[in-house]
Amino acid sequence: MKRIIFLLLAGLATTGYAEVGFKRLVNAAEEPQNWLTYSGSYRSERYSPLSQINRDNVADLKVIWAYQMQPPTIGGAGLVETTPLVVDGTMYITEPPSTVTALDARSGKSLWSWSPEMDEETLHIGFPQVNRGVAVLDDAVYVGTLDAHLVALDAATGAIRWDIAVADNKSGFSLTLAPLALEGKIIIGVSGAEAGVRGFIDAYDSATGERLWRMYTIPAPGEPGSETWQGDSWQTGGGSTWLTGSYDPELDLLYWTIGNPAPDWNGDVRPGDNLYSCSIVALDPATGEMKWYFQFTPHDTHDWDANQIPILFDAEFNGKDRKIVALANRNAFFYLLDRETGEFLHGNQYSKQTWAAGLDEAGRPIVLPGTDPTYDGNLVWPSLQGATNWFSPSYNPETGQFFVATRLMGAVYYKADVEYEEGQPFLGGGEQALSGDDAAGAIRALDVMTGRQQWEFMLHSPPWAGVMATAGGLVIGGSNEGNVFALDAETGNPLWDFQTGGAVRTNPMSFAVDGKQRIVSTGGGTMFVFGLE
Amino acid sequence: MLHRLLFCLTILSLPAIAWAQSPLDELTEADLAAGEKIFKVHCGRCHGIAGQGGEGSNLVRSKLKYATDDQALIDLLGEGIPGTGMPAIWTLDEQKRTQVAGYVRTLGQLEAQEMPGNPSRGKDIYQRSAGCPACHIIAGHGIGIGPELTYIGDQRGLAYLRQSLTDPAATQSQTSGYQDYLTVRVKSLQTEVEGLRVNEDAFTVQVRDVSGTIHSFRKDELTQYEKVFAHSLMPEYGTALSDEDMDDLISYMMSLRSEQ
Repeated sequence: MKRIIFLLLAGLATTGYAEVGFKRLVNAAEEPQNWLTYSGSYRSERYSPLSQINRDNVADLKVIWAYQMQPPTIGGAGLVETTPLVVDGTMYITEPPSTVTALDARSGKSLWSWSPEMDEETLHIGFPQVNRGVAVLDDAVYVGTLDAHLVALDAATGAIRWDIAVADNKSGFSLTLAPLALEGKIIIGVSGAEAGVRGFIDAYDSATGERLWRMYTIPAPGEPGSETWQGDSWQTGGGSTWLTGSYDPELDLLYWTIGNPAPDWNGDVRPGDNLYSCSIVALDPATGEMKWYFQFTPHDTHDWDANQIPILFDAEFNGKDRKIVALANRNAFFYLLDRETGEFLHGNQYSKQTWAAGLDEAGRPIVLPGTDPTYDGNLVWPSLQGATNWFSPSYNPETGQFFVATRLMGAVYYKADVEYEEGQPFLGGGEQALSGDDAAGAIRALDVMTGRQQWEFMLHSPPWAGVMATAGGLVIGGSNEGNVFALDAETGNPLWDFQTGGAVRTNPMSFAVDGKQRIVSTGGGTMFVFGLE
Repeated sequence: MLHRLLFCLTILSLPAIAWAQSPLDELTEADLAAGEKIFKVHCGRCHGIAGQGGEGSNLVRSKLKYATDDQALIDLLGEGIPGTGMPAIWTLDEQKRTQVAGYVRTLGQLEAQEMPGNPSRGKDIYQRSAGCPACHIIAGHGIGIGPELTYIGDQRGLAYLRQSLTDPAATQSQTSGYQDYLTVRVKSLQTEVEGLRVNEDAFTVQVRDVSGTIHSFRKDELTQYEKVFAHSLMPEYGTALSDEDMDDLISYMMSLRSEQ
């Protein structure tokens, strides 16, 4: 079987692009040499079934090739946050702010590159110039741009197929996420809550770019959930959707996470729970109709977006077989929900927090008094960047372990008066983080069914890089100080590390070419591809 | 009254820079007052409530190293200064940053702080009785264990300099929240070192000992790694120097400026 895969790979690498139909995406686990979606599978496990690199030999890992990103920037350097996709020997990456590049996965040599023409004045309010990757479907590659366009490119040549404006960047909309490809359609979400946009999730026809549906995350008056807003506050209510969601092909449900309400730190101007900010929603991908929602942080005043990766798995819970979605939230709690119904199954604190006494039986936080931002400042854990953030957790289905890169940092939160002005920051305060020696980071392993911590590996500072578990018994991670490392998944003991010379701000991934497993990470503006030989 | 004085000073300075079309040209007295208020909230903790320097630089000077023109000063407030303790204050919009920049420029019109003693006597104390060159460099002379002091008069104000001599542990600066010149005690099976943390990551630490020698360790080789906060390797000079000598030494340091 291995030989067959090898022969197929060798053939495809020389004969051109093989189409990635929807069925290949559904059955991604059957081709572990490839990495076909942002999180590696529709279940978003960010788990590599490859085991050629394992705990016995990872100490011999070395750089096979590196790629230095030198993309055009719009008035300043962007940050590299891409997760590469690999399809049959070709790697697709994005370079900041919105360049797509195809590389020969064997050698690292560039095959084609495409960059949008963007205005020098392109807004990116509340986040750096970043892009987290592409989607592939059939024979096309899809990218969202900083100026809020969705673009389809020919996968073999990079030639443009279509380019549509999703929203107006002058209002603060951007696309930084990797789109999610479903059957015949591309799903995207938007950034912009720090500019007071009204967020949404969109579906586009993958062949034509025609918009199929839009689901606003902030309900208009009269719609369900609108009772959680007062006056006109919903119009500038935020609720960005800036991270790739997950998909269950059997239930045919799309899971997407939603960010903070706007303005961020002054909740006085938007009394109520502010649905569907800081929530996860389950949508019918055919229509965008919402099947259920669960709000993690009602009436958030700390910028704790729920834009984290929802991981899907199936297990027996309290004697009943369940289809579950697990999420380690920026608000420092770990959640298990029934993904058919949205029912809250379990929640527990996985990182230091000082804002809630816990969760009630329905999963709603029991908020401690005096933890909102004030004009004079109020010290609360976690900081506004949260106990974790956009960078990915990982789930090993073989061991039931959930791994999460955790930020151990508090902040003094301030409230300020603010008025909405289009295309300007709409924040209502800020924070002074307890940084440096007062903060730290950790890679934590949780028992997925209980959320109980099994081990932790400490980092010098709160990380901005995700983790990936592998069938080789490894957890791969990165640090701000430039370390890429492999931990023993059983114990958390470090087995290998490499100093890249620049901050690691990406999620690791793995692929194989010529039958050889590779592990990919970055440091600063350079991507490193590691292997044994 | 202070506001009005500052405003007048700013107006007086305008003809000299009007050709450059500074973004500060349009600022009103109310803008400068707003800038002062923001400065005291966001900047005063490090730069001193009157901008005379503290953990952050002394701003009572007409030229700022990282802000060669007014637009650069506005940009710097939004972007921070990488590698220093100056953070990006991205929560301030362009208008507020311009107001703060305008206020900071008015500080540059104020007279520098008066020296408490005799700087030329202080230079002698620095070089001889206090023994400072054993750990500090001025204009290339000395040993670089503690901070370089060549332009310390630009960077720090009188009160801070006095405290750094009498209670050095209380005045240790930070870069991005990390204590500079942090004392660490490191033991491995082969060696034992007390010195200053130069750098660190999850797997390694680099230490400079009091002779200036750099030691590099992998953390998994260490049997002990202790960070000693609220402690300085610099001696306390409060009792070692007379009041007059202390004033003279401080005056010498205040005189160490990039412009005289």
